[in-house]
Amino acid sequence: MREQIDIIRDILDKQLVDRDHTAMGRVDGIVLSIDDGAPRIDHFELGFVVLACRLHPRVEQWLRAIRTRWSVRKSARQIVPWSAVQDITQREIRLDVHAIETSAFDWEKWLRKNIVSKIPGSGEE
Amino acid sequence: MKKATQLALGVLTAVGGFFDVGNIATCTQAGAHFRFQLIWSLILATIVVIFLIEMSGRFAAVTKKALPDAIREHLGFSFWFVPFLILTAVHLLVLAAEIGGICFALHLITGLPIQVWALPVAILVWLFLWRSTFNAIENSTSILGLITLCFVVAAIWHHPPVHEVLAGSLPSMPSHDPANYWFIAVSIVGAVIAPYLFYFYSSGAVEDEWDSTYIPINRVVAVIGMGFGSIISVGAIIVAGIVLAPRGIKVSDYHQAALMLTEIFPFWGYLLFAISMAIACLGAAVEVALSMSYTFAQTFGWNWGEDLEPIKDARFSLVYTIALLLASLFMVAGIDPLKLTIMTMATNAFVLPFVTIPFLLLMNDRKLLRDASNGIISNIATAAIVVLALVLAVVSIPLTFMGGS
Repeated sequence: MREQIDIIRDILDKQLVDRDHTAMGRVDGIVLSIDDGAPRIDHFELGFVVLACRLHPRVEQWLRAIRTRWSVRKSARQIVPWSAVQDITQREIRLDVHAIETSAFDWEKWLRKNIVSKIPGSGEE
Repeated sequence: MKKATQLALGVLTAVGGFFDVGNIATCTQAGAHFRFQLIWSLILATIVVIFLIEMSGRFAAVTKKALPDAIREHLGFSFWFVPFLILTAVHLLVLAAEIGGICFALHLITGLPIQVWALPVAILVWLFLWRSTFNAIENSTSILGLITLCFVVAAIWHHPPVHEVLAGSLPSMPSHDPANYWFIAVSIVGAVIAPYLFYFYSSGAVEDEWDSTYIPINRVVAVIGMGFGSIISVGAIIVAGIVLAPRGIKVSDYHQAALMLTEIFPFWGYLLFAISMAIACLGAAVEVALSMSYTFAQTFGWNWGEDLEPIKDARFSLVYTIALLLASLFMVAGIDPLKLTIMTMATNAFVLPFVTIPFLLLMNDRKLLRDASNGIISNIATAAIVVLALVLAVVSIPLTFMGGS
């Protein structure tokens, strides 16, 4: 029997981790593609804008407006292709990537560099 | 040995979380206005908190997930979004009240105005979080917190009339001022069942890497830890009932509450009250600030952990940094710490449904918890707790206007 997964219950909103088990966001959105009438998962989407559009289109608009002015992240929606998925467990979804190299860490890296490393005792050598 | 040290987590949550600024404020007011008559509401709230703490620990031990994490994953972002915003606002108020408690204690010791202490206190709490690991915080505050036992010592010393204390352990109708009576009863429940306790406790269990072998320990920790906190609070009600009530001191200001230990310890009473208050509030402030970081990080799936250096989890560390800064502004603005506390505790009671309903849903999910999901007793208890929470949410606002002083 083929393996079946309930995508809303077991994938949407689940924790994503990288190869080294570093948490790198959650599955904020799931996008299907349809080939010859058969849907399959194309990619996951991550980002505040993705969450906002789940709440209300107006909230999404506001967030987009704020984003274009202040965001340090290049694109509003970060895309994780299904091919990057290594394993789906009860606890998390493991991706075959390095979190620090993905845009899931854009904000984290910006805050580390511009704020946290400037405060004494942050652990930055 | 490691498991024996886990008892410390319970005692910390009890002393730092259970006995905090909210308990000091509501218990002294209860004793001053109604002597021992409101002990029942503290006992009721303690039973509720024992059930909820046990469940949040059991959930974390079995699923290796803390509550905000599990709520976002299993109940969905749209379900969690509004409670998340409301709880963030409430946590900020509680943090401001805890900081207010420490500031007042320092004001009592030094004589300098409360406002002067706001920023130094926020920085002190922040340093604690920025530099320490989870276990260092846990151990230091739980040992220092033992000083709050002075309320129990004082209560025993005063030889309270046992039959009257026992009578107060059962609910009864007030002899005077019913609106104020019910308002204080609701505030006590709000002070004891503080939402941050569950997010802190379950995240702590994940930080300590609990697994299902911790279920029995978790049960003992919940009962003993929360029971311990409760005894201190009962002590505070009794002392206030004996010292403040006969003199007609109504505690509309923390200065009046500070009188309660001076009868037994004429010279040290003030200082002892101030130090107990400072330590209890410091422990709680650390927990509330951490809870906010845990909740944000888990809601958005950031990397988190109090054992990581701030450079390794910048977003996690900046949440408590910003929260402390914002919370300290309440005291900078000169808001009365006691009024803020009492108002915040009523708000805690108001938001209880947001805290308790996810429990009922998650704790019955057999796919998640398998044979560790709730049994019949826990479920009857949780259902009763949800009903109680809904009632409290409905009555807390009108009572605040009618009975809040």
